[in-house]
Amino acid sequence: MTGVKICGLQELEHIKAVNGADAAGFVFAPSHRRISVEKAARLAAELPEGIEKIGVFVNSGLQEILEAVEKVPLTMVQLHGDEPDELIRSIPVKTIQAFSIREQQDVEKLNRSIADFVLVDAPGTRFRGGSGKTFDWSLLAEASVAPGRLIVAGGLDAGNVRSAIDALGPYMVDVSSGVETEGKKDAAKIKKFIETVKGDSMQQAEGTKEETGFFGRFGGQFVPETLMKAVKELEAAYAEAKEDPEFQKTYYDYLKEYVGREQPLTFAARLTEAWGGPKVYLKREDLNHTGAHKINNAIGQALLAIRMGKRKIVAETGAGQHGVATATICALLDLECVIFMGEEDIKRQQLNVFRMKLLGAKVESVTKGSATLKDAVNEALRYWVANVEDTHYLIGSALGPHPFPTMVRDFQSVIGRETRVQILEKEGRLPDVILACVGGGSNAIGMFHPFIADESVRLIGVEAAGEGVDTDRHAATLTKGTEGVLHGSYMKLLQDENGQVQEAHSISAGLDYPGVGPEHVHLEDIGRIQYKAVTDEEALASVISLSRLEGIIPALESAHAVAEAEKTAAGMGPEEILVICVSGRGDKDMATYADKLEGLA
Amino acid sequence: MKRLETLKDDGGKAFVAYIMAGDGGLDKLRGQVETLQRSGVTAIEVGIPFSDPVADGPVIEEAGNRALKEGVTLDKVLLEMKSWDFEVKIPLIVMTYLNPVIRYGAERFAESCREAGVSAVIIPDLPFEHQRLVAPYLKKAEIMLVQLVTLTTTENRLHDILQEAEGFVYAVTVTGITGVRDEMTEEVKSFMKTVRAKSPVPVYAGFGISKLEHVDLLRDDVDGFVVGSAIVKAFHEGEFDGIQPLIDAVTLQHPV
Repeated sequence: MTGVKICGLQELEHIKAVNGADAAGFVFAPSHRRISVEKAARLAAELPEGIEKIGVFVNSGLQEILEAVEKVPLTMVQLHGDEPDELIRSIPVKTIQAFSIREQQDVEKLNRSIADFVLVDAPGTRFRGGSGKTFDWSLLAEASVAPGRLIVAGGLDAGNVRSAIDALGPYMVDVSSGVETEGKKDAAKIKKFIETVKGDSMQQAEGTKEETGFFGRFGGQFVPETLMKAVKELEAAYAEAKEDPEFQKTYYDYLKEYVGREQPLTFAARLTEAWGGPKVYLKREDLNHTGAHKINNAIGQALLAIRMGKRKIVAETGAGQHGVATATICALLDLECVIFMGEEDIKRQQLNVFRMKLLGAKVESVTKGSATLKDAVNEALRYWVANVEDTHYLIGSALGPHPFPTMVRDFQSVIGRETRVQILEKEGRLPDVILACVGGGSNAIGMFHPFIADESVRLIGVEAAGEGVDTDRHAATLTKGTEGVLHGSYMKLLQDENGQVQEAHSISAGLDYPGVGPEHVHLEDIGRIQYKAVTDEEALASVISLSRLEGIIPALESAHAVAEAEKTAAGMGPEEILVICVSGRGDKDMATYADKLEGLA
Repeated sequence: MKRLETLKDDGGKAFVAYIMAGDGGLDKLRGQVETLQRSGVTAIEVGIPFSDPVADGPVIEEAGNRALKEGVTLDKVLLEMKSWDFEVKIPLIVMTYLNPVIRYGAERFAESCREAGVSAVIIPDLPFEHQRLVAPYLKKAEIMLVQLVTLTTTENRLHDILQEAEGFVYAVTVTGITGVRDEMTEEVKSFMKTVRAKSPVPVYAGFGISKLEHVDLLRDDVDGFVVGSAIVKAFHEGEFDGIQPLIDAVTLQHPV
C-alpha cells in the first residue's frame, strides 16, 4: 500500500494528526517551513512509533547532515540539491534524492541516482489526474526507477492524490502545501489526506497484515521454548541496531577497511565473447577478505553480539567459508568462538578446518546423522540452547528463526546495492538477468534483494543438482523439495513422505543443505525469482571455463551460477546485460579440483 | 485425561514416562506401555522419532535413530496404538516434532490421534506464537496441546502461555536439551514455585530428571515429573526394574 509522508511539520499540534502516516518530514533547508534541529528533535519525540523521520536538506555539508541524523534522530535523509554521490554514500541512514522533472534529461539523472529512493517533484505545477497537461507524467515511463523506489510529490492534495497513485503506483506520496491552510499545516486536512490515500484498505490491511518474521507463508520462529527468549531479544536488538546510524557506520567501516569493499563489478570480455550473447559482468565477492561473501554477514552479527553484551559465538559451517569468516571476525574482535562442522565436511575441507584452528576457534566435529551441514546446525542449536545467556548463534545463511533470515539478508544486501550502483555507472541501466547460487541462499538474497522491485530484471537462483535432480543425490530444494519446518523456519525441505529430513548431496559443501531460506521460497512462490539446478559435472566444467577465460578460479558454489549463466546467455542478445555473483574463490576447493579435474593439463 | 487434571487435588505426584516409539522395533511398543502401566506411572508420552531432534540429548536422539532405522513413522505409530485391544487405563500423550505433523497434515494428525486414543500432544518446536497451525484441529478432536515453559521464559510470556494451558504444564528444568543430569539447582526450585503459583493446571517438571535427589529437591514445588532419557535407557538396556524405585519415589506417598 502506498505510504504517506507529511512534510514541513513545525508545530506540536500537527504531530498528532500525523498518526496513520508513514513518514514525517522536517525541513532544514531555507524555506518558510524551516525548523531547527533541536525543535525537530522535540517534535520527533512525540511522533507515534514506527513513523520514518525524514530530514530535508539542500546542498548541506555532510557534517550538518550527520549532526541532524544523530540529534533528531532521523531515520532517512532527503536531498534536494546537487549532492555528489560520495556524500550520499556517507550518509548512514536511508536516502531520498529529489528531482524536479521538467524534461527528458531530468529523467536520465533520476535513473542514475544511487539513493535508496527517488522523489519526483512537479515544479510549480499541480497534478490534475489522468488528463492533466500541466506536468507530463509520461516522462516517467522512460525512468528505470522501480515503483518501489519512487516517491511522488508536487501539488498533491486529497482531491488528486488517488489519481497520482493510480497512474504511478509509487512507494510513497509526499504532501506539504496540499495539507495547509494559509501557509500553515491544517490538522483536519492532514487527516483527510491520509484517509484518502489509505482509504478503506486501512482496515483490510490490518486483517491481512503479514506477521513479523514471515515472508508470505514462510519463515517464523519454530524453536523450542528454551530459545524463544534469545530469539526475541535478538529480534529487538537487531531492530534497534538497524536504525542506529552509529552501528551502521561501524559495520560499513569494517566492510571498507577490513573486508576491502567495495568489490568490483568486472566486465568479463572473454566470457562475453565465448558465449556470444549478452554482456557478462561478474560481481567479485571472491575478492573479499577470507575469500567469500560470508564475511559481510559475520561482521554484522559479531558487532550485534557485542552490542548485546555477548562475547561467545557459536556457528555452524558447511564448506568452512562461514566458519573461517566467523573465526576471523572473532579473532579480530576478541570473541570466543566454537564452530560445529560435520565430519564429512571436515574431511573434504581440511584447509579451512586448519584455518579456523589457526585463527583460534574451537572446531567441533559432528558425527551424527549425515555428518554434514544440517547436522552441524543441529549441534550448534543444541549448544546455543545450553549456553544461551552469554552466547550468540552466528548463523551463516539466510536461514533459521526470525530475525536471522532478514538480518543475514540485510548484511548481505551490500552485494546487490553495490552492483546496482556499479551497473548504472557502467551501462546507465539495470541488467536484464542476474544469477547467484543458492544453498541456504545468503549471497543470492543479498544480491537479489535490491532488485526485487525492478520487474525488468530477471533473477535466477541456481541450486545444486548434484548427480541429477532425478537421482536421490542432489541438493535442489526449491526444484524438488516440499514444505516443512527445519531449524526454526517454515520453508522448503528435502524430506521423505513421513516428514523425515533427507540428506542433501552436492560436490560443493556450501550448497549441501536440505533446506533453503524462507524468503527464497516466498519469492519463488510469488513467481519473482526463478530457480534452476546445475549438476556437479556442469559446475566443474564452469570452473574450467571461468578459470581459463577470465583468470578467476571460482568456488564450486559460485561455479553453479556460472554454469546456469551460460545456458541463460544462449537465449540472449548482444544488447542485453547479464550479471553473475561470484560468491567466493576456489582456493578451498583446490583438492577437489585436483582430484576431479586431474589430467586436464 | 481427567486424571491429569485432577491430580493437583488428590495429593499424589504424577509420573509421566517418556518412551521412544519403535526403539527396538514397533512391536515392542505395546509391551512397554503395558509394563509402564503395571509399574504405576500416571501417563505415558509416546515419542515419535525425527531426523533432526534439536531439543533432545544423545540418549533420546540415538533411540530415535534406532527407531528410524526400523522404519518407524508417525503414521505407523498411530496405527499401532489404534490397534491395541488391551485396556489402556492411563492417558497416552504423543510427543513429536512439528515437521512430521505438517507432512502428515495437522487435521489428519488430530483425527488419527483421537482414533488412537491419544489424550494430549506435545510439540517442542511449536512455540506458543505459532500454535494455531495445529491447535484448532486438536481442539476439534478434543485433544489437549501441552504447553512448555522454561527457565528462560519471560514473565509476560509465562503469563500468556499459562492462560492457554490445558492438561498440565511441562516445566523444563534446564537451559538445555533432554538428558540425564547430575545437578539440579535452587534456581530451578524457585522457578517451579513461580510457575506453580500462576498455573491453572498441574505443573510437571521435566528434562534431566533421572535421580531420587532430583525428585526430593523438587517434589514440594511441582505436581509431577516427566522422565525420559532414564526410561529410554532402561528399556534399551533391558533393565527396566532399575527404574521402579524412581517411579515409586514419585507416585507413592513418602514421608518427606
